[in-house]
Amino acid sequence: MISTLQYIDSQTVTYALAAVGLPLVAAIINLLLPARSGRVGGWISAVTIFLSAVCAAIVFGSIWNHNALHTQQLWFTIGNTAVNAGVLLNNLSAFMLLLVTVIALPVHIYSTAYIKSEEQNRYFTYLSFFCFSMLALVVVDSMILLYAFWELVGFSSYLLIGFWFTRDSAVQANKKAFIMNRIGDIGLLSAIIILFAQYHTFDLVALFGTNGLVFKSTIQNGMWIALTGQMPQVWQYVAFAGIFLAVAAKSAQFPLHTWLPDAMEGPTSVSALIHAATMVAAGVFLLGRVYPMFSADELNMLAIIGCFTAFLAATIALTQNDLKRILAYSTISQLGYMIMAMGINAYASSLFHLATHAFFKCLLFLCAGVIIHEIHHIKEEHQLTIDAQNINNMGGLRKKMPLTFIATLIGCLALVGLPFTSGYLSKDGILIQAFEWAEGKSVWFKIIPIGIFITSGITAFYVARLIFKVFFGEFKLKALLPNVHLHVSDGSWGFRIPLVFLSLCSLFPLFSFNPFSYEHAWLFEGFSLSNNVLGESIYHHVIPVSISVLSILVAGWAFSVYVKQRRLVLSESSFLFKMSYNQWYIDAFYKRVIVKAVLLLSNALYWFDRAIVDGFIQVLQQVTLFLSGLAAWVDRYLVDGFLYLVTQLVKGIGNFFRGFQSGRVQYYLFSMLAAVLAVFIIKLLI
Amino acid sequence: MVSAGLFSIGIYVVLSKQNAIQVLIGIEMMLNAAILNMVAFGKFDKINNAGQTFALFAIVLAAASTAVALAIVLNVYRRHQTIDPGKINQLKD
Repeated sequence: MISTLQYIDSQTVTYALAAVGLPLVAAIINLLLPARSGRVGGWISAVTIFLSAVCAAIVFGSIWNHNALHTQQLWFTIGNTAVNAGVLLNNLSAFMLLLVTVIALPVHIYSTAYIKSEEQNRYFTYLSFFCFSMLALVVVDSMILLYAFWELVGFSSYLLIGFWFTRDSAVQANKKAFIMNRIGDIGLLSAIIILFAQYHTFDLVALFGTNGLVFKSTIQNGMWIALTGQMPQVWQYVAFAGIFLAVAAKSAQFPLHTWLPDAMEGPTSVSALIHAATMVAAGVFLLGRVYPMFSADELNMLAIIGCFTAFLAATIALTQNDLKRILAYSTISQLGYMIMAMGINAYASSLFHLATHAFFKCLLFLCAGVIIHEIHHIKEEHQLTIDAQNINNMGGLRKKMPLTFIATLIGCLALVGLPFTSGYLSKDGILIQAFEWAEGKSVWFKIIPIGIFITSGITAFYVARLIFKVFFGEFKLKALLPNVHLHVSDGSWGFRIPLVFLSLCSLFPLFSFNPFSYEHAWLFEGFSLSNNVLGESIYHHVIPVSISVLSILVAGWAFSVYVKQRRLVLSESSFLFKMSYNQWYIDAFYKRVIVKAVLLLSNALYWFDRAIVDGFIQVLQQVTLFLSGLAAWVDRYLVDGFLYLVTQLVKGIGNFFRGFQSGRVQYYLFSMLAAVLAVFIIKLLI
Repeated sequence: MVSAGLFSIGIYVVLSKQNAIQVLIGIEMMLNAAILNMVAFGKFDKINNAGQTFALFAIVLAAASTAVALAIVLNVYRRHQTIDPGKINQLKD
C-alpha cells in the first residue's frame, strides 16, 4: 500500500515528521548535556518546540479542509499479516499536532522560568520526551503504534508527576496515576486485539476510514459480521468496553478519575501541559479516531458517563481548598463535557471544546503556578509551615499581581462560558446540541442536558469562589506576618509572555469572528462530519442567554458568600458539604474496597507463598540438610577416620623407628649390644 | 675371667659415661680385654707365641686409634663446645 506521493504531499509528511521528531532530539540532547549546564537545556527544548510548532502550522495549513494524507511503509510481517507503520494526516491529527505544539510552546517558555536551573536538564528531558510521544500518538496510523505511544505518553506523565521524587506524596501520586493508566492500557490492548481478530488489520484508515471495514460491518442476529469474518456480538461490546476503559483512564473519567487530582503533585507547568491541555485530551482524541465503531447504545453510555463525571467533578470542585485540585476537578468536569459531546453525536463540538479548553485550562494552570510560586517564595523566606497551594492562605492578590489576575479572570470566564470567550463558543455548542439531541427522545434522556446545564451553574460557583478567595478580600498571610512587607509580583518575563499569549488565545477571535455563534467557528466547521444544516431551534437563543444569566447570578451569589462574608447556604458539617469535600468518598471507597481486596488477595497469596510454597521448599531443604549431614558424618567419621587411622599407624611406625636414630653414638652402641645379646639369648633358647 | 670382667666394665663405661674421654678409656678397656684374651688363648695355639705377637700388633694399633680418637674428640669439642656424647646427635641426619 505504498502510495507514490506528490511532491507537495511528501513535503508535508516531512514537516509532520519533523514536528514529531524535533522534541525527541531535544530530549536526547538534554539527556546528554552535563548536569551543570544550567538553563541551556530549557532553551534548546523551547526552541525545538517552537520549530516543531512552525512545522505543525505548515502541516496544518496544507491539510486542513483538504484531502487527508496517508502514507505508510511495511514495518514487519508475521505470517500473512503485514504490519505497516505510517503517518495519517487528516483534519483531526493536523489540528491536534498544531494544538499540542502551540500549547507546549508557552509552557516551555514558562518552565524555563519556573523550574530551578539545576533541575532543568532532567525536567526538559522528560518534557520534550512527552511532547514527542504525544505528537507521535497524534499522527500515527496504526493501532499498534498508537498503543505504543499511548503507553509512552503515560510513562512520561508518570515521570513528570514524580518529578520531585523526594516528596512522598509525589511518589504515591505517580504510582497511582501509573496504575490507573495501566487499567486503561489493558482495555485498549484488548480492544486492539479484538479488532484485529475481527478485521485482520491494525490500520486506522482501513478500519475507520470512510468505506472502511468498520462501516461495512453489521450486527445481525447477535452476530458481529464483517467482511473478514464474524464473531458473537458480545465481543463488539468488549471492544467498546476496552476503548472506554482506556479513555476513562487517560481522560480521567468516572470511575478511573481519581489519579488526576493526585497528579497535581507534579510541577504546575506539567499540570498545565499534560494534565489539563494535552495528555488528558488523548482519550477524547482516541474516541475521535475510533468514533465510527460505536453503536447507538454505546454512545448513550458515553454520554451518561461523561455527564455524570462532569457533574461529579464539578460538585467536588466546590469545596476543595487546594488551588490546583480545584483546577484538576474542573479539568475532569470539562473532559466529561467532551466525552458527553462525543456520546451525543456532537463530534465537532467535542473537539472544538477540546481545543478551547486546552488554551484556557493551560492558562489557568499557569496562573496558578505563578501564584503558588510567589506564595512558596514567601513561605521559604519566612519559614512558614503553610500549604502554598491552599486558597485559604491567599486573598487580595488582585492589586499585587494585576496581570495574573486579568489572565485568570479571562481563563475563568472562558471556563464558565461567558460571551466573548472561546469557552462560550464551544461549551454552549455542546449544551445546545445536548438539548437538541434529547428532543424527541424519552424523558430519561432529558437528564443529560439538564444535568450538564446544572453543572454549568456549579462551574460558575466554584470558579467564582476561586477568584474571590484568591484575588479579593484581604491577603491572609498579612495576618500571619503583620510586620513584614510581603513582596508579591507577577514574576519575570518568562511567566508573563505565556500568560498574555494564552489569554489572547482564550478569547473568541482566534476561533470565530462571530462571538455568539459556535457554528461559524472554523474549527467547528472543519470537524463537522456531515454538512447538514442544523435546524435553527429555539435552543440556539435560549441556552446561551440562560447559561450566561445563570452563571452571573451564581457568581454574584458566590461574591456575597465569599467577599461579603455572608453565611454559607450549606454549613460545613452538612452531609452534602462533607460528601463534596471528601470527593464523594470515591477514593475512600477504592481504598476500602478495591485496595483492601487487592491487599487481601495479595496477603492470601503471600500466605500461600509463605506457608505452602516456602513450606514445601523448607521441607525439601530440611531433608537435603539432613541427608547432607548424614553424608558429612559418614565422610568425617568413616572415610576420614579410616584414613586417619592409616596415617596414625604410619606415623607410629615411623616414630618408633625414628626413636632409634637419635644420632647418639652411645645409643647405637647400646642397641648393637642389645641386638647381639638378643641373638645370643635366642640362640641359647633354641 | 679377668678379661671377661674387664670387657664388661669397658662396655659399661662406654655406654654410661658422659665424657668422651671416659668413653675412650672404656674402649681401651675392651680392647685390652680382647688382647688379654688373645694372650690367654695363645696357650692353646699350635704356633708358639702367635697370640703374644698379635697382641703386640693390637696394642700398637690401639695406641694409633686412640690418638686418632683423641684428635676427633678435640675437633668435636672445638665445634660443639662439649664432649658429652649424649648431647651430640648430628649423626642422625
